[in-house]
Amino acid sequence: MAKIILNNQEVETREGIPVLQAALEAGLNVPHYCYHPGLSVVASCRLCLMEMKMPHPKTGELGWAPKLMPSCQTPVRDGMEVRFDSDKVHENQERCMEFFLLNHPLDCPVCDQAGECHLQDYSYHFGKSESRMVDQKHVTPKKDVGPRTLLYSDRCVMCSRCVRFCDEVAGTGELCITNRGSKAEIDAFPGKPLDNPMQGNVVDICPVGCLLDKDFLFQQRVWFLKSADSICTGCSTGCSIRIDQNEDHVHRLKPRFNPRVNQWWMCDEGRFGFKYIHDKNRLTRLRLRRGESFESFRWESLAETVRYRFENIAKKQSDKKIAVVLSPFLACEEAWLLVKTIREIAPNATLILGPVPTVEQDERFPVGATNGDTKFIIRKEKCPNRNGIELIIKHFGGNTETFDAFVEQASAGEYAAAWISGGYPTEWVSKDFAKAAGKIPFKVVHDLFGSALTDEATLVVPACSFAERDGTFVNATGVVQPFARAIKPPQGCKRDGQFFYELAELEGLYQSPTVLGMMAAEIDEFKEVYVPPQLPEHQH
Amino acid sequence: MSEYEKVLLKNVGKPNSRQLATYVEGGGYSGAKRALEQTPDDVIDVVKRANLRGRGGAGFPAGVKWSFLPKDREVTYLCVNADESEPPTFSNRVLMEEDPHQLLEGILIAGYATQATVAYLYMRAEFTEQYHIMQVALDEAYNAGYFGKNIQGSGYNLECYIHRGAGAYVCGEETGLIESLEGKRGWPRIKPPFPAIQGAFGKPTVVNNVETLANLPHIINRGADWFLGIGPEGSSGPKLFCISGAVKKPGCYEGAMDFSVRELIESDRFGGGMRNGLKVKAVMPGGISMGILTADELDMKMDFSDPAKYGLLGLGTASAIVIDDRTDIRKVLRNVARFFAHESCGQCTQCREGTSWMYKMTNRVERGLGRLQDIELLGEIPAKMGMMPGLSICGLSDGAAFAIRTIVEKFRSELEDYVRSENDDAVRIALEIAN
Repeated sequence: MAKIILNNQEVETREGIPVLQAALEAGLNVPHYCYHPGLSVVASCRLCLMEMKMPHPKTGELGWAPKLMPSCQTPVRDGMEVRFDSDKVHENQERCMEFFLLNHPLDCPVCDQAGECHLQDYSYHFGKSESRMVDQKHVTPKKDVGPRTLLYSDRCVMCSRCVRFCDEVAGTGELCITNRGSKAEIDAFPGKPLDNPMQGNVVDICPVGCLLDKDFLFQQRVWFLKSADSICTGCSTGCSIRIDQNEDHVHRLKPRFNPRVNQWWMCDEGRFGFKYIHDKNRLTRLRLRRGESFESFRWESLAETVRYRFENIAKKQSDKKIAVVLSPFLACEEAWLLVKTIREIAPNATLILGPVPTVEQDERFPVGATNGDTKFIIRKEKCPNRNGIELIIKHFGGNTETFDAFVEQASAGEYAAAWISGGYPTEWVSKDFAKAAGKIPFKVVHDLFGSALTDEATLVVPACSFAERDGTFVNATGVVQPFARAIKPPQGCKRDGQFFYELAELEGLYQSPTVLGMMAAEIDEFKEVYVPPQLPEHQH
Repeated sequence: MSEYEKVLLKNVGKPNSRQLATYVEGGGYSGAKRALEQTPDDVIDVVKRANLRGRGGAGFPAGVKWSFLPKDREVTYLCVNADESEPPTFSNRVLMEEDPHQLLEGILIAGYATQATVAYLYMRAEFTEQYHIMQVALDEAYNAGYFGKNIQGSGYNLECYIHRGAGAYVCGEETGLIESLEGKRGWPRIKPPFPAIQGAFGKPTVVNNVETLANLPHIINRGADWFLGIGPEGSSGPKLFCISGAVKKPGCYEGAMDFSVRELIESDRFGGGMRNGLKVKAVMPGGISMGILTADELDMKMDFSDPAKYGLLGLGTASAIVIDDRTDIRKVLRNVARFFAHESCGQCTQCREGTSWMYKMTNRVERGLGRLQDIELLGEIPAKMGMMPGLSICGLSDGAAFAIRTIVEKFRSELEDYVRSENDDAVRIALEIAN
């Protein structure tokens, strides 16, 4: 710990961090572009300059140094005194803002960044309303730097964050700076477009509207977007994300700062992997089999029917088994409610963890990083909650089975009934599994998309996507993290948590924190839930 | 102006002055041999006592620079700054073209003093012929055992490589040079860490100018007191001066730092007076980035301390451009602004945007489309850009600021007269077209 005097006030902070970071954490709005805590310091935007007390070179007396110091480059030392509120500092900020706008096109009305643009915000706070330059602006080109990203170089403020990101975090180094002086531009190397699994982050860290996400371009004005704090379900890393939506349509995902999991970043796989939410082929009707065909069913009768049927089977076919297949896409609360209910009805029900979609290996960044210098991992398990589901299965104990063994036993006709939860964004039902499931006389299939399995089902329960649900995931490293819902489920669907709640014969509305509390009373691992710190605007 | 016997340029004009044999015949490499017999600290001590100030522009004492190296270092690199790109400076070029072994001997001495293992001679891209001259000389020196392993039986090893730049003014800044040497974009680094702690390839590094190193053999041979005896206190030792412009004898000359700009122009030893009866209108005495003098300020002494009294940044490279009375000051201003806008590396906002804005304005002023506000701004931007220290990573913005600010301040009435005589409508229409 270190104490510094910041604008005449004593502030407690940490020794060695940049003064700028300390000032931002103390709630000061210090303008800056090039500084980003996840990247190396270049101190080139010169916007965060501060005054600092230093001993006079001759007399040794402590006084304000005549030189302005870059606060991003100056580490905190115990007892130091700095200020950002002097005329000298303000004058520099004002001048910098004038310089930044000299060649910047004032095209905010058609710029995607407008509304969340640091150039707009800082101009408003620190700049002047008019430019004194009457000459023609430099016009630099708009470039297509990669399959997902555009670069409008005329809007660039040369903070070089994107270049440093590609060098230091992605480790792929596709971006560079060409030309010199005010004609300098960011560009991709010839024949090497910006196309790495982490590249979407350059759009996030770009403080202005220079780097643009083609997927989001011209889709929404950002001030119409409403956000919810969620967790990415793309892999078991469990990055903290923000779901930006308008009128129940998700427009983009943005990473949220989480010091224990993803820092400031997320991968493209997760970032653009949400499109299935709005897929037209999603299941949206609760359906019950009547002979060869299905008929619509009312949600109100679901809990009663399911309980009744399972109870019946448990009583009458005690020589056969009942299965509960829990998808690693379920939230812990949902899985817990489901298992609790079924085990109440059928205490010997077998618990099975659904298939865990896995690719060959983890992807580490920077590319080629080993354990020590890894900054980001895209994990090989392409689901968010295997750990959480395993915790719950372990807690309930009793009969458990691996998925493969379950498929084998099912094809041998050992099961009389099954609840099968899916919720995978992609095709997950193997031929063997579909065949085996055909041997189970009564099965409830709870899934996002239709498949060979839903065709065979007795009861089809449409599932909700992560953006429509709330609950808790446990990531690959065992961090228990809550996620909130962003949008309403599509018409005809019901929030999974809600109908599990009703199934468990609990009164009222499903609230994930309530269920979490009930779970935590039984399972120690859920006592501690990690919520990353909320950062104010312009802070990293 | 005292009598002066040439030291640095004494071999210039000798037949075969580039060859090792000629150099050794004239007493060459005796300084290096003498240095190798002493301890490195002794060598540093002599250079410190001689108060050899860096000839590259900033005038920082070389011996003091060396002593910043950490004591427990394992590897040290010596970078020789031959990226001579300050207009109108060409003294390093003369040293390398005419007497390459003098520089190589200086490199050997500096390398030994700092216990460097590798010396890099960083030459600007435009030095093509000079590069070949240096390479031939270096090969000769290697063959004669002045570089490589166990130099002259002393047990000291020094490798020397010539590295050619890619053509940027800013690579003359020592950390820009190091970045460029490492194969990166020539962007000056933020300090600390200073090169003496973490320089080229992350190792302790010393960067010295060509002329500074060329002085070393003579200091070792003749001693610190000899060096201190030349020129005034604080500005001792032999110095090269370049003079160009409308003088009778433009060129590179050697002298002590004990004469004025007027003498540099008028004296037969140097410029030999103005050509064709032209009169001096202005002089940029230290390279363009130090600022400008009017015809009334020619009494400024060409030493390290006097330029500040005339509002200049420093002595710089002691290379003067003499501007005659036919010259339109607007053209000078535009030319200077163009240079800095072209050479600004683009890292720091003030320098990147300020220089290009000033170039746009001076361009318009030169075309007869200036406004009084432009003159006002041309005074204000540099005053805020480089005069307030700490606003940029390196000194380029200070140089740009001094060059433009002094021209605008000292020739303000002339600039304003031009602007006032212009047709207001033409200015207005031109600006409308521009936007």
